[in-house]
Amino acid sequence: MFPLFKPHHWRRALAAAGALALIVVSGNWAEQRELQAKMEALRQASAAHVLGLRGLVEKHDFLPYAAARHPEVQHLLNAPGDTALRTRVNAYFADLQSTTGAAALYLVDRNGMTLASSNWNTPSSFVGESYRQRPYFEDALKGRRGLFYGLGLTTGQAGLFIAEPVRAGAGVLGVAVVKISLDPLERVWRHSAYPVVLRDSHGIVFLSAVPEWLFHSIAPVSDADSQWIRAHGQYGLRTRFDLLPWTITAGKGTPGYTFKTPLQGRGANLLALDTPLPELGWTLTVTEDMRDVQQAKQAALALATLAVALLLLAVLYWRLRERRYAEQRTARLELEHRVEERTRDLQEAHAFRKAMEDSLLVGIRARDPEGKIIYVNPALCAIVGYSAEELLGRYPPYPYWHPEDLEKQARESDEALQGRAAPSGFESRIRHKDGHDVITMVYTAPLIDTDGVNRGWLSSVVDITAQKQAEARQRDQEVRLQRSARLASVGEMASTLAHELNQPLMALSNFAVAARALAGRASPDMLAGALDDIIEQAKRASEIVRRVRALINPQRGHFETFAVEDIILHAEALLKPELQRNGVTLQLSMENPAVQVRGDKVLLEQVLVNLIHNALHAMQELPRQRRCISLTSQRSGPCLRIAVSDQGPGIPKDQLEQVFAPFFTTKPDGLGLGLNICRTIIEAHSGIMTVENRDGGGATFSFTLPIVP
Amino acid sequence: MKDAPLTLYVVDDDEALRRSLLLLLFSQGLAVQAFESGEAFLDAVDLRQPGCVILDLRMGAMSGLAVFDHLRSQHSPLVTLFLSGHGDIPTALEAVRRGAYDWVTKPDTQQLLDKLPAAIAEARARGQALRMWEELTAREREVARLVGLGQPNKEIARVLVPPCGPRSVETHRANIFSKLQCANDNELGRWLAAHPWLE
Repeated sequence: MFPLFKPHHWRRALAAAGALALIVVSGNWAEQRELQAKMEALRQASAAHVLGLRGLVEKHDFLPYAAARHPEVQHLLNAPGDTALRTRVNAYFADLQSTTGAAALYLVDRNGMTLASSNWNTPSSFVGESYRQRPYFEDALKGRRGLFYGLGLTTGQAGLFIAEPVRAGAGVLGVAVVKISLDPLERVWRHSAYPVVLRDSHGIVFLSAVPEWLFHSIAPVSDADSQWIRAHGQYGLRTRFDLLPWTITAGKGTPGYTFKTPLQGRGANLLALDTPLPELGWTLTVTEDMRDVQQAKQAALALATLAVALLLLAVLYWRLRERRYAEQRTARLELEHRVEERTRDLQEAHAFRKAMEDSLLVGIRARDPEGKIIYVNPALCAIVGYSAEELLGRYPPYPYWHPEDLEKQARESDEALQGRAAPSGFESRIRHKDGHDVITMVYTAPLIDTDGVNRGWLSSVVDITAQKQAEARQRDQEVRLQRSARLASVGEMASTLAHELNQPLMALSNFAVAARALAGRASPDMLAGALDDIIEQAKRASEIVRRVRALINPQRGHFETFAVEDIILHAEALLKPELQRNGVTLQLSMENPAVQVRGDKVLLEQVLVNLIHNALHAMQELPRQRRCISLTSQRSGPCLRIAVSDQGPGIPKDQLEQVFAPFFTTKPDGLGLGLNICRTIIEAHSGIMTVENRDGGGATFSFTLPIVP
Repeated sequence: MKDAPLTLYVVDDDEALRRSLLLLLFSQGLAVQAFESGEAFLDAVDLRQPGCVILDLRMGAMSGLAVFDHLRSQHSPLVTLFLSGHGDIPTALEAVRRGAYDWVTKPDTQQLLDKLPAAIAEARARGQALRMWEELTAREREVARLVGLGQPNKEIARVLVPPCGPRSVETHRANIFSKLQCANDNELGRWLAAHPWLE
């Protein structure tokens, strides 16, 4: 899950190493610092101890020298038997001893025999004792100042012996010795917090606040040294000098060192500083407990750890905060984005709605349940002519209600407010502010708010005035169209009919051939489908025929009473261009143009047009000047007879009876339906259509119509 | 060489008639693609490919004749068979005069079935001619046209852009004869005249 080489893991490892290093370094730094402080303290302590030691030595240093130069002392050496002199010298020594605080002051002759001593009158008097084997005596006898620390041969008390030769000219008469006790020092040291140790030149501890360390050596003592010590009785009869129970560790970059030792029943780790005292041949060792250093180090380590932990916590907290902040930021951005989007959407929606409402051609009107107008859009204002300010807040009756329809408007309004408005809308005539009438279609729907509460009614109002007018115009036009469609020449109509019929017939034929081909081969479904199609196409063909029949069948509903000249003049007008083009003159002869007939004007015009057209066609071969058609109308009993005559070749006798038969034609592309249809029309008007050849050439087609009395 | 698939089209604005033609031709084992108007047909069909189109003369928007005129203006190799009513025969005659293959008078299904195989054969022949023609290089086509007009090699060499020697014209001519399987100039001329729709 966590790849080892992810950068942030390296970073973590690095940070951990850094933190560890920081802790260690700060521990070491604190240790070093404490160590240096300790060392400084040790130096100062050492200096103080050295000063004290030197002070003690120097304080008594002069005593043997002074005593050696005293005349009576010299005399005594020359005359050892002089008792009085000896007594005086003894007294003198005792006086000096008590004055200076030395342990003892005494005089030894050249043989090492003590002649006088400050403690002559004590049981441990040195007088008469021999000190010839003592090193200080030997040194002094050789004319040198003798210096020695050791246990007293007589007293067993340790002390520092300083010996001065008593000279007489160039020779040495004897030796004056002062013994100094280091007990005061030792007592002082005992009060010091940490052990102070004095070692002699052999490394043997001879003065220490810690009794266990006394007469222990820092390094193994050689046999020769051991013998020497024994011979000179330095430390009594001791020949064995055990090693100090110290485990020494050399100091790191400092003059001192540390050692471990049991102390007062527990292990102690001590910091030690050696100060050599060359004039005495000793080494002074002062110590300090390392505990402080260790404690300082531990404290520093703890502090550093704490600091690092705090730092780590801070970093963690910071990162957490950053992350949270980032998350919050992302969330905020997202929120802002969403808000922005939403706002945009809303704005768009609002703009869209506004644009929609404003550009709607449909008027919108909202009313509260009491009928108060609470909203109108510009289209509604345009429809009614009142401004929004004039309409908002109005209750019924509204200003645009048509004064003639007030009752109806009130009823419709009430119905709408009670929710009983027809969902398909209702037509409503209103009065525009400027006075003209507007026909509208009103659709009302409940206005439901988001909580589902019916807050009123929303009506959309469509101005259908134009539509109504268009409808009226359309109706007029349709009537006219119908008329003109029926006015188209019957021949043309027949051609259209032929095409119309050809379509289903061809399809029928195709399906039938396909069905024959498919029979027994393809799936029955396919065959059945083809047969269904055949039935369908047959129906379609019969429908076309029915339509044509309906077209040419005069309908009583269309019948009207009119003067005969109406249709004759109209037919003439219709054909005028064609007649002129063919150079044909049409002679009209009406006995009584105002005679009234009843029928379908359009169809009767059709018959006339057809007959004139046929006449025109019959004269195609004639020279232009002879092309003349005469149209006459005259009373014939209770009927009116209208005849159309041409100057053409006439109709062959054997065909006279066939001209009205369907599909008889003399024209190459004719259908032979025109005359047949004409006769049907006339018969539907209770008339008769006949044809005859004129005596002077040409044919006359005539029909009768009943005269309306 | 196997005959390339030949496409048969029906263009008629009468839904029932269109469907009946589809079924009829299907029952005769012919695959047909039908269109409800001339515009739809011209939009959808690659007019450069040979095929056969059954075209109703009398249609609502674009008449059959207008569609045919468009095909002609595009030098389309499509073979046109008109469907005409009784009264439209003069129009159909005029169309054939202008290069339509033939017409069928409605509602004569058998006539259609009689005339269709020849029309399809013609379409295949045109397809073959087109393939042969397309084997010629542009240069060879140019030369072929000039040879078809009866121009001598010298004149052709001069007229060509860029001009070349009469010898290379001779080479072209040999190639053309070989590719169009013509024996001589006359045959080539007749061949070209028989396929005026070639570009």
